[in-house]
Amino acid sequence: MDTLIASFIDPYYMQVLTLLGIYIIAALGLNLITGVTGQFSFGHAAFLAIGAYGAAILTVKFQIPFYVALLAGGLMAAFFGVVIGFPALRLTGDYLGIVTLGFGEIIRVVFLNLEITGGALGLAGIARNSSITVVYVLVVITIIIMYYLQSSRFGRALIAIREDEIAAETMGVNISVYKIKAFAIGCFFAGVAGGLYAHLLQYLNPTDFGFAKSFELLCFVVLGGLGSIPGVVLGTTILTMAPEFLRSMSDYRMMIYGALMVIMMIFRPHGLLGGINLHRMLFKNKYKIETNRGTTDEV
Amino acid sequence: MKKRSLLWVLITLLALSLMVVGCGGGEQAATDGADTSADSGDTIKIGFLGAKTGGHADFGIKTLAGMQMAVDDINKAGGILGKQLEIVEEDHGSKLTEGANVVQKLIQRDKVVAIIGDPTTGITKLAAPIAEDNKIVLLSAGAVGDNVVNDEQGNLREFVYRNTLLDAVAAPSVVKYLKEELGWQRVALITSMNNDYSVGLSKIFKQALLDNGLEIVAEESVQDGDQNFSAQVTSIKPKNPDGIVFTGYYTEGGLLMKEVRKQGMDINMVGGDGMLGATLWEMGGEAVNGSMVYCGFEADPSMAEGKTKDFIDRYSEANNGELPNMFVAQGYDAVMMLADSITAANSVDPSVFKEEFKKLADWQGVSGTITIQDNHEPLKSPVYLLEVAEGDNGQQFKVKAAIPVK
Amino acid sequence: MLEQQLINGLTLGAVYALIALGYTMVYGIIQLINFAHGEIYMIGAFVGVSMVAVFGQGFLASMLLAMLVCMILGMTLERVAYRPLRRSTRLAALISAIGASTFLQNAMLLWKGPQPVGFPEVIKDAIYHIGPIEISKVQLIILATAAILMAVLNYIVKYVKIGKAMRAASQDYDTASLMGIDINKVISFTFAIGSALAAAGGVLVGMYFNSVAPLMGVTAGIKAFCAAVLGGIGSIPGAMLGGIFLGVAETLGIAVGFSTYRDAIAFTLLIIVLLFKPTGLLGKPIQRKV
Repeated sequence: MDTLIASFIDPYYMQVLTLLGIYIIAALGLNLITGVTGQFSFGHAAFLAIGAYGAAILTVKFQIPFYVALLAGGLMAAFFGVVIGFPALRLTGDYLGIVTLGFGEIIRVVFLNLEITGGALGLAGIARNSSITVVYVLVVITIIIMYYLQSSRFGRALIAIREDEIAAETMGVNISVYKIKAFAIGCFFAGVAGGLYAHLLQYLNPTDFGFAKSFELLCFVVLGGLGSIPGVVLGTTILTMAPEFLRSMSDYRMMIYGALMVIMMIFRPHGLLGGINLHRMLFKNKYKIETNRGTTDEV
Repeated sequence: MKKRSLLWVLITLLALSLMVVGCGGGEQAATDGADTSADSGDTIKIGFLGAKTGGHADFGIKTLAGMQMAVDDINKAGGILGKQLEIVEEDHGSKLTEGANVVQKLIQRDKVVAIIGDPTTGITKLAAPIAEDNKIVLLSAGAVGDNVVNDEQGNLREFVYRNTLLDAVAAPSVVKYLKEELGWQRVALITSMNNDYSVGLSKIFKQALLDNGLEIVAEESVQDGDQNFSAQVTSIKPKNPDGIVFTGYYTEGGLLMKEVRKQGMDINMVGGDGMLGATLWEMGGEAVNGSMVYCGFEADPSMAEGKTKDFIDRYSEANNGELPNMFVAQGYDAVMMLADSITAANSVDPSVFKEEFKKLADWQGVSGTITIQDNHEPLKSPVYLLEVAEGDNGQQFKVKAAIPVK
Repeated sequence: MLEQQLINGLTLGAVYALIALGYTMVYGIIQLINFAHGEIYMIGAFVGVSMVAVFGQGFLASMLLAMLVCMILGMTLERVAYRPLRRSTRLAALISAIGASTFLQNAMLLWKGPQPVGFPEVIKDAIYHIGPIEISKVQLIILATAAILMAVLNYIVKYVKIGKAMRAASQDYDTASLMGIDINKVISFTFAIGSALAAAGGVLVGMYFNSVAPLMGVTAGIKAFCAAVLGGIGSIPGAMLGGIFLGVAETLGIAVGFSTYRDAIAFTLLIIVLLFKPTGLLGKPIQRKV
């Protein structure tokens, strides 16, 4: 399969596209937490890091097969997602945001000091197992899972929490359980993406997982459209590709990138595809009734 | 409903067209309008891997300046094998992911025969397996850490080389000098914990200090980007060391010494080439006078001769009297090593000319003599130990000793 | 030793507090985390350096000019990047803030280059001994300046008309505008004051640590925001308290040997405090409205 793809595009594109796929998986995970459930998370890169280091240490030091390591990395991230999900029960909005940001920084500093992660020297010698086929098969699987989650009873409960916690609770939604589940699932996907990331770059360094990366992931989701699966895919695509396409203006590259973010938010504050959902796109004739736009001022 | 799906279609189209235009634009820009075909016949392309923005920008910009100078020299003299050399520049902004993208782009898109870079160990480690897999020579003009020319299991990488003075070689010689010539006995060792270079160098220094029977009375850690060292210095002060070994970069080194002087301690600091730069006294002012830095190259017009002197003179003439630093010299030498190897092999095929690298022995560059040993590691002599002192036009590095490496 | 570390911590904390005030005031009125605030602090420091190095001005003149420049910058930033988003989601405004921060950072990188710039010695440093404690002249100046600025801020907020309007707006935004308060003016003024304080912090830090760099605003900004949340976001005394608390805690943490975990100290403390007091030390409890 890879050879077939390789005959169409060169390995540089493969590298960029593979990275894009990995980011899409991570961003979809974040979308479930922030876009669907409305819980702020400014530390998503930490779960990427946990998955990356977890999977890489397993394959490098314990010779565990790649797919098992990926799954294990995802589960480790999910475990920490549950741990961080608990404060989510007590805190709301920006306070939760700052706690998740803090958690992300703590994880980074811990990895910088651990022996097994190689500290500041980073972790090298990881095999390059993340082929473009594997990544995109997983992207498709992630999209399908997310789609079914969002259109199921579980997903509707999450959206209810986003729209109005108290109302959701009175309708019998167990807020605590759902919030923690959302964190666990979202972080699981970040962990899997992290494992893929490690096996693509073949070298990990804790400084790579600072809050800059968390915000990057958040930007993918918000710019594309909170809660909208095609929106997240589009947002991630645009923002991942932008620095590569802007290479020709190398000096002004990041300035343009920043200005672009401000402009996009001013003109499309709900994101590019805010309120457009995959289910309705596929079966739009079934739903003739115009419903709420899916994003509110409360998020 | 209709309106909205129409909008969605429009947005998708817009995004797609952006991508297509972007790809086209990217290709155009990649080679500055040059021919994009693989074998353009009359030029040999070398890739530059380094940062022009972000944390390591200073190293990257200087390395590139040295490379550019060497390429101009070669092209003026008629090129190699009758072809002109050309540098393909890319900036990875000191970011890992972009580093990987740049390496792929240089190899796949620009079809370079060799990549020179990265000046830092971390990104070189990232680039090494990619270069090895694609059979493209990677020559680092700056990476000093372990596991660059070989992988984690100790297998040699056939396509990866470097031309720097290694700390594992230099640090023990310097410690010996500190003990025997300067009489140091008690040392405070300070590491910058989020800097891979510093962490690696501290390990080497610790071993060298112990081997030579010096006592480490305090171990403190700082971080790159710190501005405030009052807590660490306050902790060191009562232990009364003879000197400080700081393994990080110049910004933190200068500020650290300022704090040391502020707290009234009269001891000096020794460090590696991460502190080699005017930034050291821009940050530290008078506090860094007497601080020592070792490195594989220092431009001292009064001492230099032959090839090196010519290089220093020409560089400073082109740069308003600024002297070249180690990164400039290493960048220059890297291109020259590459050119000599290609000429000797009479081929631009990396698999062929990489063999010539292994044969380099006592190769005379502008930064000293280089021998590539059997384990692919370069042996460079001498180690220059420099001291910051007041010169004719402000502070400057003066060569304190040239310690031969055995 | 301990007293010495306390003085170091207090100095650092005073600077954190100055930056934190800007975060907290803006947040109090429009519930926005102004992520570009750290960049304003950085630009203030650069203006200060340029004034001293290029124009040979004294410390006071440089600081006042830096404050003025950043006032204008802060107001412009609000006008361009936040005002159009006032009625949108909070996350949209946040992303806009992150974009603005990226833009300002890279503009400075392009203009000034990546290397830190040394801060010329404006004030001849001297060390005073008060019993066992050594305190430097620069430290004294930082503490004094921070104290004066906070006193002035306190006066404005309590007794001056625009300050009262700010408090009214932070209590209840909609009612305040119904009562004839020009909300746009109040928000502009809030940004101006917060930015001026951050600029002062930038100049003081540049002088204290003798270096100014385009990326200095990143960690300082996050830490100061941390301090604001720790004290209770929206509360002015809370920001002062949080800043001092964080500065002292961090310095003591390094002193007892946690220096490798320095960046984590602030956040660990923050998480512990928030778990017990979800709105920070002096924050008001959140009303859950149905």
